[in-house]
Amino acid sequence: MQVRAGFLGAAIAAVLALVVAGCGGGGDDSSTSSSGASSGGSEGGTVTVLMGTAPDYLDPQLGYTTQSAEPDWITYTGLLTYRHATGSAGGELIPGLATALPEISRDGLTYRLRLRDGLTFSDGRPVRASDFAYTIERAIRVNWGGKSFFTNYIDGAAAYDSGRADSISGIQTDDATGDITIRLTEPYGAFPNVIAFPSAGIVPRGTAMRNLSNDPPPGVGPYMYTQASVNRGFTLERNPRFARFAIPDIPTGHVDTIRVTIVSNTQSEAQRVLNNEADVFDPGDTLPPSLLPQIESQAGDRFSREPIPSTFYFFLNTTKPPFDNEQARQAVNMAIDRDAMVRLASGFLKPSCWFIPDGVAGHPGSDASCPYGDRPDLAGAKRLVQESGTAGTKITVWGQERSPRREYVDYYTDLLNKLGYDAQERIIADEVYFPTIGSGQTDPQTGFADWIQDFPNPSDFYLLMDARAIQPTNNQNFSKVNDPFIQRQLNRLNPVPATELDSVADEWSALDQYTARRAYVVVYGEETMPKFYSDKLDFDAALFHPTYLNDWTSLQLK
Amino acid sequence: MASDPSISASAGPGISSGAGVGVRSREEAQPSPSTGLGPYRLGLRRLRRNKAALAFGALFLLIVVLCLCAPLYAEHVAHTTPNANHVTDTVTVGGVRKDVVSPTGQPIGPTWQGRFLLGADQNGRDIAVRLLYGGRNSLEVGAVATLITMVLATLVGITAGFFRGFVDGVLARILDLIWAYPVVLLGIALGTSLALGGITIGPLEIQGNSLMVPAFIIGIVYIPYVAKPIRGQVLGMREQEFVDAARVGGAGPLRIMWSEILPNLSSTIIVFIPLMIANAILLEAALSYLGAGVQPPNPSWGTMISDGIRLIPSAMHLTFVPGLMLVLAVLGVNVFGDGVRDALDPRAKVRLEDVQERAEVQR
Repeated sequence: MQVRAGFLGAAIAAVLALVVAGCGGGGDDSSTSSSGASSGGSEGGTVTVLMGTAPDYLDPQLGYTTQSAEPDWITYTGLLTYRHATGSAGGELIPGLATALPEISRDGLTYRLRLRDGLTFSDGRPVRASDFAYTIERAIRVNWGGKSFFTNYIDGAAAYDSGRADSISGIQTDDATGDITIRLTEPYGAFPNVIAFPSAGIVPRGTAMRNLSNDPPPGVGPYMYTQASVNRGFTLERNPRFARFAIPDIPTGHVDTIRVTIVSNTQSEAQRVLNNEADVFDPGDTLPPSLLPQIESQAGDRFSREPIPSTFYFFLNTTKPPFDNEQARQAVNMAIDRDAMVRLASGFLKPSCWFIPDGVAGHPGSDASCPYGDRPDLAGAKRLVQESGTAGTKITVWGQERSPRREYVDYYTDLLNKLGYDAQERIIADEVYFPTIGSGQTDPQTGFADWIQDFPNPSDFYLLMDARAIQPTNNQNFSKVNDPFIQRQLNRLNPVPATELDSVADEWSALDQYTARRAYVVVYGEETMPKFYSDKLDFDAALFHPTYLNDWTSLQLK
Repeated sequence: MASDPSISASAGPGISSGAGVGVRSREEAQPSPSTGLGPYRLGLRRLRRNKAALAFGALFLLIVVLCLCAPLYAEHVAHTTPNANHVTDTVTVGGVRKDVVSPTGQPIGPTWQGRFLLGADQNGRDIAVRLLYGGRNSLEVGAVATLITMVLATLVGITAGFFRGFVDGVLARILDLIWAYPVVLLGIALGTSLALGGITIGPLEIQGNSLMVPAFIIGIVYIPYVAKPIRGQVLGMREQEFVDAARVGGAGPLRIMWSEILPNLSSTIIVFIPLMIANAILLEAALSYLGAGVQPPNPSWGTMISDGIRLIPSAMHLTFVPGLMLVLAVLGVNVFGDGVRDALDPRAKVRLEDVQERAEVQR
């Protein structure tokens, strides 16, 4: 969940016509611990979290980065949410403020949920079903970066967004019964994931339709904001009302106060946690490689690398030479040294050749072997380039400035030159990178790209391979993949409800293996993030959630 | 260079009117019959006596020669190229095989042998090879930028100073416009935009990642710093008798500028050259450090410093070594430049000492 995901929502959702949704329960099998139970540490106390990157907003209907999702997830519970667990278990949708998972009509167009009884906001006001409708309207009105997830699928949301309607006609609520009915314009299998976004976390009707980052509204969650300033820091305190609701699988937290401070650089951020002057290093920040040896030797028992569902790859534009030639694409896949990429990432990368990452349904898993080998074969790749007749082609490799992404591109450019191409780099500022390479005018040949999941669903990743996502501006299908087989499969698999993903995991896996064979992209790994705490915290009891990173409800003083 | 340097055309230290050898007609610039030595031979004699300037000049020359030998070193000693990655390679040091880059991304330090003499960077590239190639790039950018600055600034300065009036007004305003922007900010703005699209002037097309792009940018941003003193000098010179004599003799403006004015500016230009080379190298390093100069993966001292910053606590040499080379090169050319100025304009040194003395007394 990065700011960039907003582009996807705006650009792709507008063109995709995804089909069918369904209903059901279930979820991924939990391979790791789930939260809620104390491991024997002390209750109460204060924890200090440091962030080197400030949250974009502290208003729940505006936040769209990992830094804002971490506090919002435990402060504004939605009708649905994710299990507080690590690994693939953390991707399981569970009822939040709703009594159960949604009941979905056979045509996939109608979702029915019921609000739990007796809920109140942190300020004591009762929660009503109509607050949900207001929350979605507010997210649209304040212009949330991912609002197209609502406006493109909820009936009447687009009319509300354009000012043609005063409310969203597709959301019907009954405050007396707590019933909530959502009608979609078209079936969308990932819609349960959409209503689990923290931005759908319920706020009271009448909350001002403007950015309230410095005075966040009350919510329903284990914690509540008591002080907030986006660029300086904020404080969360335990919500005394929440425990009474006894919502299953949503923990009430251990510490009384979580104090978050925004710091100016990650070097001092890491140093302070290493010296036990602060308790949590924010995983959204890059741990300075220069401190890594010291951290690993002095604080090895309170530091780990946690994989998050993400895909790091080089795109290969299939409409331009040399990568319109399949042999040329295969050659690059054959030559890439993923071990080198791991070293360039200072170990914060888990090598992979699959587009669907580990922890997401459809990941081919360890049984499947990479179609072009697990080890680099430079000689074989050079032969392929010669056979393809593309040797000597001029290539511009696009990349971002920030480390280690620039180092990835330096390596990749050198690799292309070793293969016999005439490659040059074009490094541009991080802020303008994706709009630039997504522009039809630029139409880049190859370069760096990544995707960090919005929600744990393979369709979230395969939006990047969907031919309908090829756009003149804000294009996200950088390789310009337009493969009839992939399109057919997406039409079949995308409408499968998020709650029934396991039933089609094998089909997603087969699709991902096909994509790897066709070498449309060069996938080299999945990002891992640092879980790094002070000595004061119970490291083993703390959970690292695949979507919302550090689960602050699991933080506990020793 | 904080104030309008045209003021120094009439007073003060630095590059002043006549630049030390005085204002002479072409005939006057001939060797003096009394000494048998021309002003440049006299200057050379003075320069030879300035041991410090010569030593620093030799240091700069040594750096230039070393950098020019980069391909030989890379091929025969280090057996690599400046952009070749060796991330997963190993190197034997003292009989022990070591990773060039460790699994956690730590590059190897100096081995004090042929391969990775000064260690490697994050991508496993040989620092010594990149240092020499980076020096070539930095010096090349510095030299070309100085050439652009000197040619255009001389042209603009002479034209503005000689014609005065409307022409001077237009040119002076353009110079003011460039002058008004802080050099580094202007360089970043131009560098960032031109690095993307390159430069196309008629049939001349320069790619965004060419070394000529930062050279062009630096050459342009320094024009006012040279053109303004030249203009000030020409303003005074055009009123001199030897110019009147040429005019009476039927010489047109172009002829006067070429044959009478330009030769009298030569010592000023010579004095400016090392100064501008030093400034250009420094600005190139600053722009490259900020990503607006030499484009990756090509090395320059500025990009190498920038690349090494994130590993500074554990691998300080990545930043220190290119920084040291930069200091030595700039110091060398600056001290040598001062020596050249003292040799060609001994009065400037006297004036400078006077100013310093007065400042001491006032304190």
